[in-house]
Amino acid sequence: MEEVIKRLNAEYGFGLSADEIKLVATQAEEVRRMLQPLHEIDLAGIMPWTRVDRRVKP
Amino acid sequence: MTGNELETMTIANCSPRIMKREVSPVEVTRLFLERIDRINPTLNAYMTLTADQALADAKRAEDEIAHGRYRGPLHGIPVSIKDNLATRGVRTTAGSKILADWVPDFDATVVFKLREAGAIVLGKTNMHEWASGGTTINPFYGTTRNPWDLERITGGSSGGSAAAVAASMCLGSIGTDNMGSVRNPASMCGVVGLKPTYGRVSRFGDVPGTGGDSTDHIGIFTKTVEDCGLVLQAVAGHDLKDPLSADEPVPEYSASIGQSVRGLTVGIIRDYFDKLAKREVREAFARAVGVLESLGMKAEEVTIPHMDLVAATQNCTTWVERVSAHVRYLRSRPRDYSPGFLYRQIAILTIPAETYVTAQKVRRIICEEFDRALERVQVIVAPTTEIPAAKIEECNRGEVEVDGEKISLRGPRGNLGIQCTLPFNLTGLPALSVCCGFSSSGLPIGLQVVGGAFQENMVFRVAHAYETAARWHERAPRLS
Repeated sequence: MEEVIKRLNAEYGFGLSADEIKLVATQAEEVRRMLQPLHEIDLAGIMPWTRVDRRVKP
Repeated sequence: MTGNELETMTIANCSPRIMKREVSPVEVTRLFLERIDRINPTLNAYMTLTADQALADAKRAEDEIAHGRYRGPLHGIPVSIKDNLATRGVRTTAGSKILADWVPDFDATVVFKLREAGAIVLGKTNMHEWASGGTTINPFYGTTRNPWDLERITGGSSGGSAAAVAASMCLGSIGTDNMGSVRNPASMCGVVGLKPTYGRVSRFGDVPGTGGDSTDHIGIFTKTVEDCGLVLQAVAGHDLKDPLSADEPVPEYSASIGQSVRGLTVGIIRDYFDKLAKREVREAFARAVGVLESLGMKAEEVTIPHMDLVAATQNCTTWVERVSAHVRYLRSRPRDYSPGFLYRQIAILTIPAETYVTAQKVRRIICEEFDRALERVQVIVAPTTEIPAAKIEECNRGEVEVDGEKISLRGPRGNLGIQCTLPFNLTGLPALSVCCGFSSSGLPIGLQVVGGAFQENMVFRVAHAYETAARWHERAPRLS
């Protein structure tokens, strides 16, 4: 993940120090772990919720 | 009228007196401004006061009423606005350094509608930086303190609004709720906080980057459920300036106030909320369900099979939608964010597009499950927050002690304090927090009442019945 953060740092010009890159990489890894369960269920045939209009039942 | 009356004043008991010209909007506004002068230096609920404009607006209201042009229950009523809602000619910071000097030349639709209803805007309230946290510890504008215990947080992100209502520094306030930012501080400050159905209130003028496009809502703080209905009546409705606002008729909300709840069914999602809520919150919640049953409601357990994916789905959706609004400033002014906010946004930039779309598929499943559950019950109830307000010092350390156990503020599902509220941002369903008791330390605890889409009337009906039976709203914090 550190390489990804280094790439973003260069692209956006955040000016992160080496310590900051490590810290952000740790957070990014936490985010990845937190969202991992979304990829572990069967979503075949399910359409994404792309329009929020609560008048219409999904 | 004296300043002492402000603590028991509500919109519902003040507006008839204004209408009959027993009290004048100028007199009421002046009393609130005096109270703000006295109390705000301690609480830091307001970050910008608009006293001169408020007095001028109050004078106009007084003249209109004197000439028989009474506009309705909000005419002459003092309110406040969270600082991420655009106010014409008044600084709107979103709690950020980046927008510290931004003075919009327009009003957010919700502010415009309040002014049209004759409400008097006293000022702008403090908030978490970019509305992205639940403490209202703001590195640029200071910490807002809880009126019930000055060493504790108000919750957030609309902490200033909740504190202002709880401390009787206004009669109503407008906030925003992206993961619980109205209901969480309402619960921690012991006031009523409503997140209406998605689309019920226009989001035009809500500062981009302070919430997810599909998860953020305009919300309302008041002292009572009845007052909340009066404010929603004024601000609800379709708005051409917000393409996601709903073209759905606005019912008469006061019609639900005082209606019996006998024979209605209340749903309880046991597993999810029982695991989250700590002891004193669980106990207060159980007692609240008992009160509802004593009023003739039937309690029934409901199941949401994919409840465990709610947090991941909501977090992914909100984070990705919000960060997209920050790209410009992330490139041009990254160091004008607090380090914590900046690091978080960079971490969020690593989320793949595929994960966002996957989250929207899971969201559909979860919304369907909630809609099915709400075909069997009229409302769902849940605790509003897992714990009562934490100490400011604990939040600065990142760890709170509850029931003898140390808990990190950032858990594996996301931040502590919002896990009970975020399901209803994801689903867009209306949810209201009403006080359901106090902890052994004297801190308020909130009960969340959730209804079907656009069923705010049902939410008001149940919440008002509970409030009237339990009478927690009659307590006020002691502020010298």
